[in-house]
Formats: sequence, structure tokens, C-alpha cells
Amino acid sequence: MFTTRRGLLVGAAALAAAGCTETPAKIIDSDDDLTAALRRARSLSRDAEALGYPDIAADHLAHAATLERLLLPSTIGEGEPEAPLADAAALAEAEAAACEEAREACLTTTGDYAVLFGEIAASRAAHAAVIA
Amino acid sequence: MSAVDAGLAGEYAAIYAYGTAAVHLDGAVRDLAESLEAEHRERRDALLDFYDGHGLEAAPAHASYETGPVDDAETAQALLLEVEERLATTWRAGVASEEPAEREICLNMFMDCAKALARWRIAVGASAAEPWPGRPEE
Repeated sequence: MFTTRRGLLVGAAALAAAGCTETPAKIIDSDDDLTAALRRARSLSRDAEALGYPDIAADHLAHAATLERLLLPSTIGEGEPEAPLADAAALAEAEAAACEEAREACLTTTGDYAVLFGEIAASRAAHAAVIA
Repeated sequence: MSAVDAGLAGEYAAIYAYGTAAVHLDGAVRDLAESLEAEHRERRDALLDFYDGHGLEAAPAHASYETGPVDDAETAQALLLEVEERLATTWRAGVASEEPAEREICLNMFMDCAKALARWRIAVGASAAEPWPGRPEE
């Protein structure tokens, strides 16, 4: 019922192995949604810490640690540095936007990761609510 | 019982618990309890709309629910915090559903529960932070 990019690529690999396509399948060892969630968790952690919300920063670090484990053996770099958020209102807005990203990932992934993305979305929703 | 059935049963129980416990609270905590009770009623109504929209029959609420003794502010707060924690766990479980509409409504309810839990934690002087809301303790 649900599909993911990973699922599609695995399917493509199976078709290629069966000789159903001449396009070589690209084997991936990371998932775009997990990677995006990891990068967002890292940036939110930095911003929450800088703006005086260490408990919320710790939540994001917990998310990042779990996402890093799930992405192994891949290691995800820091990516392009983003400008630090100016104040609590900007952090609340960023938490709400990040919540929506995780919510969308939850609704479009397989059951394996749905609960994880749901937990991250719920945690970010709570952050946005209490910071606002 | 589906995930939504379990969640609806939890929302019924939460409304009953708030009605029982809120009278023992005062000030800002009472205001919070009344606000969250109204949110649970809105969620119950949204769930009943979900049943209607999918041609399903919703179970009715029971006349009463076992809450344990609630006779002061401390026991009232403890009950309501526990109710929110249990509901978050119930809705979190529903997020694993492979049925898209069911997953979506469970996720929406789960996110609302996480916000309510955070507000309760602040009200009782605890940190609102929680990386894994609703996750059962191992």
C-alpha cells in the first residue's frame, strides 16, 4: 500500500536481476527521508542549544543518534551550513516546518519507519507548541 | 478492535477523566485542564466524523470509567497526566497502520497528544522535552 524510494529501487534491482530492464539498478544504502530528518535534527539541535533550550536540543540529538544508526554503514555529512535562527519565534517556526516534514515522511513510508517518523513529528510538534 | 477504535475508546475515557478531575484543580492548571478537555471533545467529534465518512459504526462511550481515587489536586493532576500518556501510547501504536486513512488520523491524534503532554509537563514543573512521546517504557 505504501511505497518508498527505497522500495522502488529495491524493486528496480529485482527487475534488473531478472533481466527485465537494461538500466542498471542503483543500489542505495541510505534513505532520503532518513537523511533529511537527520540533517534537520542536527540543525535544530544547534539552534535550540544556541537559543537557550538545552532540553529540546537533547531531543533532537536523540533523534539524530537513532537516525545515524539506521543509516549505517552510510555516514551522513553535515551538509551546507545554515544561518543560525534569530530568536525563539524563528525556532518555533522551524520546529513546525520540521514537524511537517516528518509528518509527510510518516505518511509515505513503509510501516517499518512510520512510527519513527511519527514520533519525531510528534516531538517536534510539542516543541513548536511550547516555544511559541 | 482497530487502532482508531482503541483511540476513540481512549478519548471517551479522557473526557470522563477530565470531567471527574478538573473540579479539584484551580488557577492556571484548571484552565489547562478545561482547555484540554475541550480538545478531547473536538477530537472525539473528529473521530466520529471519520467513522461516518468511512461508513463505519463507532462504539458508544461507557457511562463511567475506572479512575481510581481522585480527591485532591495532586491525584487529579496525576490522573490527567497518566491519561495523556496512555493516549499518546495508543495513538502512537496506530501510526504503524498500513491503511493510509487510519495512519493519518492516528498520526494527527498522536501529534495533538504530544502537545498536550508537553503542556501538562510544564504545568507540573517538569521539562516539556520528550524525544519519543508515547513510546512504552522498556
